[in-house]
Amino acid sequence: MNAIECCRPIWHRQIAVVLFGCLMTALSNHPGQAEEYQLRSDSKPQEGVPVGEVTKYRWTESKVYPGTERDYWVYVPAQYDSAKPACVMVFQDGGGYVSLKGHSRVPTVFDNLIHQGEMPVTIGIFINPGVVPPTRPGSKGRRNRSFEYDSLGDQYARFLLDEIIPEVGKNYNLVDKAEGRAICGISSGGICAFTAAWERPDAFSKVVSYVGSFTNIRGGHVYPALIRKTERKPIRVFLQDGVNDLDNLHGHWPLSNRQMAAALKFAGYDYRFEMGDGGHNGRHGGAILPEMLRWTWRDYPGIKARSDDKENK
Amino acid sequence: MMQRRLNHVASIAAILFGAAIANAQDMPLSQVLIEGEGWQRVSSGHAFTDGCAADAYGNFYFSDVARGESILKVSMDGKVSTFVPKAPKISAMQFGPDGRLYACQVGKFARIVAFDREGRASVIANDVKPNDLVVTHEGEIYFTETSKQQVTHIPKGGEPRSAATGVSKPNGIALTPGQGTLVVSDYGGRNGWVWRIENDGSLTHQQPYITLRTPGKNMSSKADGTTTDAAGRYYITSAVGLQMFDPTGRMGGVIHTPQPAKPLVSVAFAGPDLSYLYVANGDSIYRRKTKTRGVLYFQEPK
Repeated sequence: MNAIECCRPIWHRQIAVVLFGCLMTALSNHPGQAEEYQLRSDSKPQEGVPVGEVTKYRWTESKVYPGTERDYWVYVPAQYDSAKPACVMVFQDGGGYVSLKGHSRVPTVFDNLIHQGEMPVTIGIFINPGVVPPTRPGSKGRRNRSFEYDSLGDQYARFLLDEIIPEVGKNYNLVDKAEGRAICGISSGGICAFTAAWERPDAFSKVVSYVGSFTNIRGGHVYPALIRKTERKPIRVFLQDGVNDLDNLHGHWPLSNRQMAAALKFAGYDYRFEMGDGGHNGRHGGAILPEMLRWTWRDYPGIKARSDDKENK
Repeated sequence: MMQRRLNHVASIAAILFGAAIANAQDMPLSQVLIEGEGWQRVSSGHAFTDGCAADAYGNFYFSDVARGESILKVSMDGKVSTFVPKAPKISAMQFGPDGRLYACQVGKFARIVAFDREGRASVIANDVKPNDLVVTHEGEIYFTETSKQQVTHIPKGGEPRSAATGVSKPNGIALTPGQGTLVVSDYGGRNGWVWRIENDGSLTHQQPYITLRTPGKNMSSKADGTTTDAAGRYYITSAVGLQMFDPTGRMGGVIHTPQPAKPLVSVAFAGPDLSYLYVANGDSIYRRKTKTRGVLYFQEPK
């Protein structure tokens, strides 16, 4: 059911057939969520696989986003050795990614893939968006998620590079090269991941986007045009979306993700685009996260290529 | 800073959050505008209308800042009458919790005044350069001094003091429905700026929360009159129309200007159930029915 469009021509007729097929599937099952994406073994705890540790923190001292408060979590794999710098992967809307009942269950996926040697020893940093809490009880706080995630520019990258990563780095030995740093998010968190790498390719080289909001929430619809007319940056991008994703005042998510994929292809990026039939949620992305991570980290020093993974090159 | 250690346990809240993030409520114009209900002219023949305000009954008030000698009132039946005679150069008005109508009086007056029910004026502050103002339910006054690039606070019964700077041309000013956040439009720039209102009335944690549409790249928004509705949407008049934003600062859409060649400078909800948008647009006042309703800042937040 998945239309995998990687490094091959996109034919309108093929798309039409796929869309029609998805539509039929959607109608025959239940609208909006045609296929039930299932978590497979790599997303479930496995016998004999060492389990990393997750610690929750709260960040209340932001200077980049003054007044904001937020939770964040740090996952440290069992294989971490403080003598060797660990890779870093940042997740926006971190609470959803770190949860072992959520769409992605990243700590378990990391446990398994690191154990199998399919991704490097990586510290996961899962950050929630900020809120400026209200002064008076009963009054509403300022929700900063859209401002932080949907805005173009380097502000969020600076937040990571000047505040959160150095804070985590006080306790752990972290890789400081872009090759060893990835960033992932869903929806606005997806475009945020891309923006961080786009602005600071010297700091983040790998992007994973679930149902990314490459739409006009705060101007992010311009990326396909920018990508085509900007010297290629050393970033690798995995885009996931679904044909039943949003179509609203901000834009049309499936079309926008297709535009992104086409622009990345045109500009010669190392990218993959997985268009499924899901809606605006993390089910499809969560189900294929192990595959996305293998692809993302496939050529990092020390990584074992999987013989059964045709996408590995 | 470190709160507690978890071993692969995440909170229920995090799970719910993870599931819910994707569908933050979208607020298109269709949630506010009514098909077939366009702008209706309410009053015309003025020089430069401004100062849109409403009272608890939904009566609407405005001024003619260029040439007007009085504050005008549009009652619920649409009749236009004089509310306060001999009150020239009024650029903004808002009722306070004490029932008085607070106003910015510009030009040679350079002051904040308050009119009681009989239209008698009391001076609240002299020697200021006010443009627009808001009065909280606790009687705190905030006003923009555009030429001084300053937001000024008058504590209840106190003296004016600078509360914020750093906005190129601070102009329109409003509160969120809960009155925890102050918003100011930047006429010379492209943002709506927000601050948290502290218990002592000071303003903190300034942020360009809203990005306005401008007529062109590097052009100023001419953002002016600002208000909010009961759902927390922001409405800001500008060169390209009345811009609407959701409570998280995402643009919902731009409502067209009744007379596009004339300046759109002030906005308020008034009329039955405060469900009509009123705007000051050059020589005229217009209104249109909406599906939402406004907020009266002099009332205790709900």
